[in-house]
Amino acid sequence: MTTDRSSAQKLAPANPTDDRVFIEATGLKRFYDEGAVQALRGADLRILEGEFVAIQGPSGCGKSTLLQLLGALDEPDEGEIRFQGQSLGDIHDKAAFRARMIGFVFQSFHLLPTLSVLENVQIPMLEMPWTAGDRRRRATVLIEAVGLSDRIRHLPRKLSGGERQRVAIARSLANEPRLLLADEPTGNLDSDSADRIMELLGAIHRERGMTMIMVTHDPHVAVHAARILRMIDGRMVAEEKPHA
Amino acid sequence: MTFLTVIAKNLLGRSTRSLLTITGVAIGIAAVVAMTSISRGFMKSGNRIYSAHGTDLVVSKLSSQTPVPPLFEESLGDQFRALPHVEVADPVFVDILSVEDKPMVLFFGWEPGSYLWQHLKLVQGRWPTNDTERAVALGTLAAEMLERKVGDKVQILTGEFTVVGIFESGALLENSALVTTLRQAQEITESKGLIRHISIKLKAGTTEQDLKELYETVRTRFPGLRALSANEFMESNLGIQSARVMSWATSAIALTVGAVGVMNTLLMSVFERVHEIGILLAIGWRRKRIMAMILLESVTLSLLGGIVGIAAGAGFVKLLQMLPRARGFIEGDMSINLTVLAITVALVLGALSGLYPAYRASRLQPSEALRYE
Repeated sequence: MTTDRSSAQKLAPANPTDDRVFIEATGLKRFYDEGAVQALRGADLRILEGEFVAIQGPSGCGKSTLLQLLGALDEPDEGEIRFQGQSLGDIHDKAAFRARMIGFVFQSFHLLPTLSVLENVQIPMLEMPWTAGDRRRRATVLIEAVGLSDRIRHLPRKLSGGERQRVAIARSLANEPRLLLADEPTGNLDSDSADRIMELLGAIHRERGMTMIMVTHDPHVAVHAARILRMIDGRMVAEEKPHA
Repeated sequence: MTFLTVIAKNLLGRSTRSLLTITGVAIGIAAVVAMTSISRGFMKSGNRIYSAHGTDLVVSKLSSQTPVPPLFEESLGDQFRALPHVEVADPVFVDILSVEDKPMVLFFGWEPGSYLWQHLKLVQGRWPTNDTERAVALGTLAAEMLERKVGDKVQILTGEFTVVGIFESGALLENSALVTTLRQAQEITESKGLIRHISIKLKAGTTEQDLKELYETVRTRFPGLRALSANEFMESNLGIQSARVMSWATSAIALTVGAVGVMNTLLMSVFERVHEIGILLAIGWRRKRIMAMILLESVTLSLLGGIVGIAAGAGFVKLLQMLPRARGFIEGDMSINLTVLAITVALVLGALSGLYPAYRASRLQPSEALRYE
C-alpha cells in the first residue's frame, strides 16, 4: 500500500495516547556548510515499539543523516526526536545512551582491524558494569548466534564481507540495546551475502522483538522490513507495507 | 578482554609506528641518562679524590670557578696551619696539561711529606719525593694511556721527567693523573711560590660551630680566599658546573625532540584513526575513555622507550669509557636514582605529548568522524 505525499506527512503528528510509540521525529532539519547543503528539510517519522522499518531513498536524500540523528550521533538544527517519550535533546550523556539503548550496523562494517572477532564484539561491553568473564561469555553467545563460532579468533581482514557484517551485527547486540539502526547493511555485499544478512536481521527482529530501523537505497533489501518509508530530498514522501 | 587489551592490540597492531615512537623516546632518554651519568660520575670521581685524601676543607681563591682554581701565594698556606681546629694544611698545585699527545692530563704537585700521598697505593717503583729530581709517578691509567713504565721518560711541557713509580687510587681522575713534588710542579709550569689550593684536615672532634668560626676566620683574615668543604669545592668548580649545564641542555634538547616525535606520531595516529574513533564513539564509548586510550598508548610507548633508553644510555657510557680519548676522564654513575629519574621523565614525556592528541581525539564528533575516510 502506498500513500501519497500529503498522507505521509499526516504520519508525523504523534498520537499521545499511543504508548507503543518508540521513537518519533518531528520537523527534523539538518544543514551542512552553513546551510549550503540541506540534508534534512523537515523529516517526520513515528516508529512503534518492535517495528522493523526500512527508510528507502536515493543516494543523498538524507537517510543516513536521519539515522545518525535517531542514533544520537548528531543533533538536528531544527525539530525534535523523542525516544520513548523523552526528548533526545534532554539527554546529557549521549554516549551512555548510545551504549545502552542503540546498536549500530554500518555499511562498511567498521570493525577494529587490530582486534579479533571475539574482541570486536566485546568493545561496546566495556561501557557496561560487567566483568571480563561476563563480557567473554556474552560475546561468545552472540558470535554463535550469528554463526561465526569457528571464526572467533580471526582478525577482520581474514573474514569475507558477509562474515564481517555478521560480526558487526553481533557487536550491535552486545549491550542488549532496545533499538537497532542499520545503515545500508548490505551495501558492500554480493547478493548472496546480502540475502543472508537480511535473513539474519529478520531473525533477530523476530526472536528479540527489537525495534529496527534500516536505511537502504535498494528496494530488494527494503522489502525485508514490515514497513517502508520513502524519502526524497530530506523529507518522507510515502509509506508502504510490503507484506500487507 | 579488558581496556588494556585494546591498548596493547592497538600498539602491537601498528608495530612499525610503535617501534619508531619507542626509538624516538629511547634516543631522548638515552641522551639524558648518558649525559647525567657522565656529569654525576665526574662529580663523584672528583669528590672521591678528596674523600680518599681525607680532606675536610679546601681553601682556594674566591674566583676559583675555573676547572683549576687561580694561583695564589704559597706563603699564605703556612698561616693556615696555625688556625684553630686545623690539624694539617698542605699546599696543592694542580693543573690540566697536555702531556705528549694526550690533551687533558691532571698534573699534581704535593710536598714530599704531605698527607695527600698516603691514600695512593704504589704498585711499582717508588714515590718522587726528592724536590730536586725531575721525577714523576703515574696513575695506572695514565701509565697505560701514555704507554710508560717505571724508568721511562715522559715529556711534561719543557722538561723531561723520569717515571719512578706507578700508583693506584680509588678515584678514576687520580688514576689518570701524574704526581710530582710541589717544587717540580711549580718549576715546570713557571709558577714558583704559587699554589692552587690548600687541603685541610681538621682535628678530631671539630664541631659544626667550630667550623663556622673557622669559615669566619678565613673570611676576615684572608680576604680573597675562601674555605669550602670538599663537596662544595667540587660543586663550585666551573668544569663541573658547565658539565652539568651541558648535560641539562643536551637532555632538554633530546627530550624536546623526543616529545615532539611522540606527539607527532600520536597525532598522526589520531588522524589516521578518526574513523575508528568515530566507531568507538558511535557504539557508546565515552569521550573520557577515548582520551584515556590515547593517553595510555602514549605513556606505554614512552615507558618502553624509557626502558630501552636507559639501557642504551648506560651502554653508550660504557662504550665511551673504553674510547682512548675519553679514558680516565669519563666514569658513568648509573644509580637507582638516575633510573627512577629517567623512568619518571619518560612517563611525564608520554603524558604531556599524549595530552593534545588525546584531547583532539576525544573532541571528535561521532557523525563527522564516521564520514571521514
